[in-house]
Amino acid sequence: MHIKVDNISKHYKEVTAVNGLSFEVQQGEVFALLGPNGAGKSSLVRMLVGFTQADEGQITITVNGEQYTSIPAAELGYLPEDRGLYLEKSLAQNLMYFATLRGVDKKTAKERIDYWLERFDLLERKDDQLKSLSKGNQQKVQLISAVLHKPQLVLLDEPFSGLDPVNQEKVVAFLKELKAQNMTVILSAHQMSMVEKLADRMLLMNHGQSVLYGTLADIQSQVGVGSALKVTFTHAVNGIEASNKLTQFEIEQLNDMTLAIRAERADQLNQLLSHLPELGDIAFIDSQRMDLHQLYLHAIEADQAVQKGAAA
Amino acid sequence: MNRLNQTLTVAKWEFMQFFKWKQELIGKSIMLLVALGMYLWHNQVLYQPEPQQIVSNIELQGLQLNDDFVLRTESKSNDALIAEVKAGNIDGALIFASQVLPQQVTLYSQGKMSWQNDLQVQLNDYARSNAAVSLNLGPNQLALLEQPLQFETNYLDESVKDAMQQSSITAKGLLFLMAIGVFMTFGQVFVAITGEKQQRVTEQLYSCMDAKTWIEGKIIGQVLHAVKAMTTTAITTLLVFAFVQVILKGRALDFSIFDFTVLPWFIVFVLVGVYMCTAFIAAIAAAIDDPNHSGKTAFMVIPLIPIMTGFMMMDSPSSLAVTVLSYFPLTAFVFMPMKMALIDVAFWQVAIAFISSLLGCIVIRNMAARMFKMGMTMYGKEPDFKTMMKWAIAVKS
Repeated sequence: MHIKVDNISKHYKEVTAVNGLSFEVQQGEVFALLGPNGAGKSSLVRMLVGFTQADEGQITITVNGEQYTSIPAAELGYLPEDRGLYLEKSLAQNLMYFATLRGVDKKTAKERIDYWLERFDLLERKDDQLKSLSKGNQQKVQLISAVLHKPQLVLLDEPFSGLDPVNQEKVVAFLKELKAQNMTVILSAHQMSMVEKLADRMLLMNHGQSVLYGTLADIQSQVGVGSALKVTFTHAVNGIEASNKLTQFEIEQLNDMTLAIRAERADQLNQLLSHLPELGDIAFIDSQRMDLHQLYLHAIEADQAVQKGAAA
Repeated sequence: MNRLNQTLTVAKWEFMQFFKWKQELIGKSIMLLVALGMYLWHNQVLYQPEPQQIVSNIELQGLQLNDDFVLRTESKSNDALIAEVKAGNIDGALIFASQVLPQQVTLYSQGKMSWQNDLQVQLNDYARSNAAVSLNLGPNQLALLEQPLQFETNYLDESVKDAMQQSSITAKGLLFLMAIGVFMTFGQVFVAITGEKQQRVTEQLYSCMDAKTWIEGKIIGQVLHAVKAMTTTAITTLLVFAFVQVILKGRALDFSIFDFTVLPWFIVFVLVGVYMCTAFIAAIAAAIDDPNHSGKTAFMVIPLIPIMTGFMMMDSPSSLAVTVLSYFPLTAFVFMPMKMALIDVAFWQVAIAFISSLLGCIVIRNMAARMFKMGMTMYGKEPDFKTMMKWAIAVKS
């Protein structure tokens, strides 16, 4: 399974949902689609699934040597943004229906249903009506329904929404298991800590365009603010005085004795370390890298500023 | 999984969504128990009635009431006889106004009972015989007076079936069954589709199969339900008819008032017709976002119009209007079987009507699939009819 998205655009009347987007997804990787609401993620997902077609550009999906313009149904496990199951039916009936529709024979489906329900602590509630479950548990059933046919690609739109931290971790474990089975996973999410744990590569979108693309390390380097030190001195230090001494670095006062000092580029770290004694005796140093959440906010803010400038 | 298997899976799911084994068994068992109870009651297995004790204030010479009654005459006052009824000593008191030629009689009893009609019939016969004797009429003259006018209609159009009453009952029955089928799908498709839309299962299903497969499965499931409802209604009607004939009226079982020869064609037309109606209803239902506030619900009853028109035009099966409607793709499924029940129709005419219906069905199904596909993914705002028509006639589905 290989996905190549080449310069695609999608317009809805005057609104451009996706604008000249290109990226690739490799077999067996977890690929995250990030971006604020309205960034164009769901429009992109709908094109990948084949619900809509790109107005410009091309999507090429290669499965077992065959090429398609959208993901073939047999190889797709899909958790849509607008999701739901039959509330009046039991968990087992819902899951069996979707498994049968995807061509899984009843015996195999039953085994897989039991396995996944057990994994999500829902086996005992197998014959309960879906409506008797909490929203979070209903979401887990939907996740199971997406993978019962062992597809090559699982596409999950907001798989963590509505889940408590314990269940978010369960979903992370679930997705890691899919990855271990060499399934390709594309997920769109707002929970950056979860994405950071899971994603091999990611695409950050804003206004339908690619803002950042690659591994976490690639993105940190693209943002250019990935290297920072948290320095604690043996005595009180003044952040303003420190900024005047080390003008080439961005300095933030964290408390009386601690400063956060950020280098724009990783290669400036040596220079920073050599200048640190000028500020006083150091008690200890901690590295402070920007996490995905900070990178995300930084990149979106930067992009908004660029967009505003262009509009002006 | 191939398309056919997916269609059948959806059809089975759709059918089972509204088919509850337990309820079906309970319903049918209650019906059988009631029928059995009535049978046993009527055959006096559960209940042995005592003959009714009737007292008359005059001597009714020559009156022979059947075994259900014991009649005696008592020369008491009217009030005394009524008091006897009140006390429960007798079941009824017959108070005749005149001794000579009794023309008016009042029956006093505790309440309204079924034997009172029976008594009235026997007293009527007695009064008529007395009148004939007093007018010196013989039995033949009396029979002549009682015989109604024999009125016969001879149709010059040879295609009109001889047994008009039989054909009319059959035609009404067919239209009634069709109305049941369409009403059934109307209700269930509406509930199923608006429910699925509100439960947001659409995109998950679209990722498994295309809209055409889904709507086809849904339609087949609903058609099966309609067929089940029509079959159950037909069997129940026949059972009730048999019950009334055999048990209540004590006659021989005779289904000759129904013309069963049109049944095979009726089944064919009904399958095509209900399929077409269900497709139309599904397309409209898919566009409904909120069933409580939608203005489109009323349009879902459009498929009932041909059936209602059929009822109204049943009296003139040879008319030009019925002929045209029996070939028109959207109405042939109603008018042709109705016409076949009423008059003789050549095979080629039936074949044309069937092909026309089939073509209409395919066109409506394809248009409905396109409308269904778009409507099911539209949330929050209902499409207007212009947009829906645009979807319906779009080349690509």
